[in-house]
Amino acid sequence: MLMLRQIYWLASKDILIEARSRQTIGLVVVLGVLIIVVLGLGLEPSQTSGFSATAILWVAYLFGGVLCFEKTMAVERHDEALAGLLLAPIDRGAIYIAKLISNLILMFSLAIVVTPVAVLLFHFDLSAALGAFVLIMSISMVGFAAVGTLFSATISSSRLQGGLLAMLIFPISLPLVITSSQLLLRIFRGNQELSFSGLSILIAFDVIFLVASWLVFELILEP
Amino acid sequence: MHAASTGTSTTPETPQAADSRPPEDVSAPTTTATSTTAAVHAVNMTKTIDERLILDRINFTIRPGQYVTLLGANGAGKSTMLRILASLSQPSRGKLTVFGHELTRASSPSLRARIGMIGHQPMLYRELAAVENLTFFGRLYGLPDARTRAMELLEYVGLADRAGDPVKAFSRGMTQRVAIARALMHEPDLLLADEPFAGLDAPSTRMVELMLARLHDEGRTIILTNHDITQSLRLAEHALVLHGRRIALDEPTADLDPEEVLKKVGWTSC
Repeated sequence: MLMLRQIYWLASKDILIEARSRQTIGLVVVLGVLIIVVLGLGLEPSQTSGFSATAILWVAYLFGGVLCFEKTMAVERHDEALAGLLLAPIDRGAIYIAKLISNLILMFSLAIVVTPVAVLLFHFDLSAALGAFVLIMSISMVGFAAVGTLFSATISSSRLQGGLLAMLIFPISLPLVITSSQLLLRIFRGNQELSFSGLSILIAFDVIFLVASWLVFELILEP
Repeated sequence: MHAASTGTSTTPETPQAADSRPPEDVSAPTTTATSTTAAVHAVNMTKTIDERLILDRINFTIRPGQYVTLLGANGAGKSTMLRILASLSQPSRGKLTVFGHELTRASSPSLRARIGMIGHQPMLYRELAAVENLTFFGRLYGLPDARTRAMELLEYVGLADRAGDPVKAFSRGMTQRVAIARALMHEPDLLLADEPFAGLDAPSTRMVELMLARLHDEGRTIILTNHDITQSLRLAEHALVLHGRRIALDEPTADLDPEEVLKKVGWTSC
């Protein structure tokens, strides 16, 4: 119960800081929309349906996500606020979960803005399988945020941050992206049901990285 | 830890006797009584960073309630030692006990709750107001009424009228005062002050000096690092001097002359 309260205070603090500064959400949404628009304009209408459309959406989510992970951890590095957290008598796992929740809120905000833009530009019919789309993307984003939150904390003291973070989390997230894109493709073709084996892969990815990140977060977190 | 609800006035602890070990003594002390009664007890504490030796077999003991200044030239390892004492870093070898408990990466939250730190950086969130920062940290420390305590401390550091202003709007001196309030939110038994006067003007410096003196009068153990040797010897009752990665001097400040200390830290003049 105490840990839940600590997670709530830590995540609330992140959201309050973001609400005041609006630095991350503004950047992330602009980047996401730009990616969708640039790719949408650069590809023929025949190329932006089905698998391509979901892949383009994923490109926007991935790069927007990396920006979220960097910015939310940068808040802790500024003025060594992270040291203040590490001095406090709290489980470091609570810091990880709170950061994950903050990142997920930002990523879902990104998705809420970017997805309709993609639907408009690429003319794919989301209404036919909206529930399945939300389910698949939500499970996928939890896994991606689990990986991103862990690695952003690991390398946040490094000067390479941006490039290094993308290099680390993109390959690790590849199984998630491929599985998610394939599941979405089957749905958008309209003639196939949601694959439970595919969903199991996504859920297994989430569980593995959530548990592993929770366990190792204390070891990798240095002020 | 002192009771959180009692404000800044708390019952002083009784300093307990403990021997200070000669700096040349590199053998592990055998008296377990010393490690269990001391506020801080280091035995052959060694720290290497990237294979570079920063601290080499450090031995010292600090009694509860003692006001100690840790002196040394730039790069002598003062901040590293304070970060180890705060459990933000771990010794590479040797043993360090704080209030009888060995400090490790997995130090218990109850032990961390007895330590407060004022660092080079304020450890605050610039976007949040002073009172929001203090309330947030107070909640992490489990204070029952963190906001009231935050307002008490802002009153204490003379910033009650600016409680709702974001920290980013504060001067260096004001930010430092909020940082001190943050370190005192949970009424720590051991306060680590890493150059708390850096960048402060004369009135702010005096205010921080008085705050530290008051905390010492309340019975808290204070370890202060500072570049101004004369000021440090005036404020503290005991001095530890780091030189050549070792403790070069471990004596009461009353017995020390600033010039003598300057020689020990490796400086030839002010």
